[in-house]
Amino acid sequence: MSIASDKNLKGIPMKPYDMVREGLIVFTAITVIVLFLAAFWGFPGKNYRPLTIKEVATKAPVAFLKRTLSYFDGSSGLQTYGPPYTHDYQNAQSIGPFCPACWLGVIFPLNAKVDLVMQPLQQIADLNPAVAAALKTYQQASPKQQAAWDKAYGTALGKAKVENGQVVLPATGDYGPVPVLMNGMLTFARAGLLEAALTFNTNPSMAPYETDYTRALFYLGGNIMGTVADHFGEDGGTWGMSHIAGPYPAAWWLWPYTFLYQVPAIGNLNQADLVAFVIWAGSLIVIMLIPFIPGLRRIPYVIPVYKIIWRDWYEKYPSGDPSKSANK
Amino acid sequence: MNIDRFLQETIRKHMTLEDALPTKMPEYVNSFGYFFGTATLSSLAVIFISGIILAFWGPDWWHFTSVGHFTNSVHFWAVEVFYVSVTLHFTFKFFKAAWRDGRWRTWINGWLIWGISIFSGISGTLLQANWDSQWNAQQGKDAFNALGLSFMNWMNYTTVLTLHVVFFAFLIAVLVVAHLTFVRNESPVRPIVNEGKDEK
Repeated sequence: MSIASDKNLKGIPMKPYDMVREGLIVFTAITVIVLFLAAFWGFPGKNYRPLTIKEVATKAPVAFLKRTLSYFDGSSGLQTYGPPYTHDYQNAQSIGPFCPACWLGVIFPLNAKVDLVMQPLQQIADLNPAVAAALKTYQQASPKQQAAWDKAYGTALGKAKVENGQVVLPATGDYGPVPVLMNGMLTFARAGLLEAALTFNTNPSMAPYETDYTRALFYLGGNIMGTVADHFGEDGGTWGMSHIAGPYPAAWWLWPYTFLYQVPAIGNLNQADLVAFVIWAGSLIVIMLIPFIPGLRRIPYVIPVYKIIWRDWYEKYPSGDPSKSANK
Repeated sequence: MNIDRFLQETIRKHMTLEDALPTKMPEYVNSFGYFFGTATLSSLAVIFISGIILAFWGPDWWHFTSVGHFTNSVHFWAVEVFYVSVTLHFTFKFFKAAWRDGRWRTWINGWLIWGISIFSGISGTLLQANWDSQWNAQQGKDAFNALGLSFMNWMNYTTVLTLHVVFFAFLIAVLVVAHLTFVRNESPVRPIVNEGKDEK
């Protein structure tokens, strides 16, 4: 045996053993258990396909338009997110001077108005002359006029009704060309083309190999995805990523981490993600260093579970020392 | 220095054939507590095997064919069994104070594997290509951005796939081999003597 084993096993009685045989038996047993679980419970993702923009635009057109308008008029949180998307460094999560997001900087610059709305609108304009005319009118208007139209349209959306799938705004109000533009986005989304356009526009020179779905995944972020997540009980306040849609177990091993978000003093912080991770990572480091931490490394002696684990051994050698057997 | 001779000497001193393929074991290795390490390794093997099959056939196959769906289910449940096994494994190791006699590197190495497995698991969740992937990508971005890890773009499917099946898988495989090497080199930790009163 190795030098370490010779030293560690000095004076220890040995018994015959076959490691590979035992390994194969356990592997077979575990494989059978997994196959059984897979056969009876399947994969939870089967019934919970991605939420598509087409689906939202069709079933909840007002919510879709509100989200689109928030990017269009610049009121979405994404436009002031901070690094890595925008230069609003004051919004980056930090603990005093500890601001890892700031150190990395804006490595994925995102202009939500342009990237998520204006670029698709330009493509829609290529297909639809009415949208092209409305877009031209909008772009030629003063910023003040644009803001007034955006505001009036946003207010009207709050009172909008859906009739036969069409969004009907209150008759009064000066919305300018905004309804035509927004309806253009709605029609485009209902045709199932918006995700593809957002992905293509990420880097047209990469088409058809572009696989960065940031823009498409962002589009429904905020209230829309939050509503769906609430339905499944998946928001951060209900243990977030540690469980999934449907009646299945999931990433329960994240409980020590997601638990931290349930503590109001942490979960309500602006920098909750950073604080939670620092605590989690710090705890992991403490656990790793238990062999060197005087109080913690004594816990197994104080809670003597080892006496149960090695009960046969202690029956034979009460002190644990094989040179002093019970018969002596 | 003759490198071959050095390696021969090192292996002879630290990993003999009897260590690698033991035909005898200390008498105290006689408890169900020893089962969980092997169970963890076995479930990891099922994860790797099912993962390799999934990699060959791709997302459409695992979502829309019955065999693919079943293989995906095997991968998912193997992960669940892995975490149950590893949780029991480190719980028993803790109550055996298994870091004694210089085994601290095995203890640290094990927790390192666990920590990396968390990131590997998250990348796997994002690869599911379902609602949960979408929601977790949306939620997880805030945490990863806050930590300065945004360079790993979790919304780029190619990046996530490569990290999951190459980077994390490779790291875990290497550290598991190291873990097993430490374990076999050092032999199973001895039962605590005299209720630990003689130990610091």
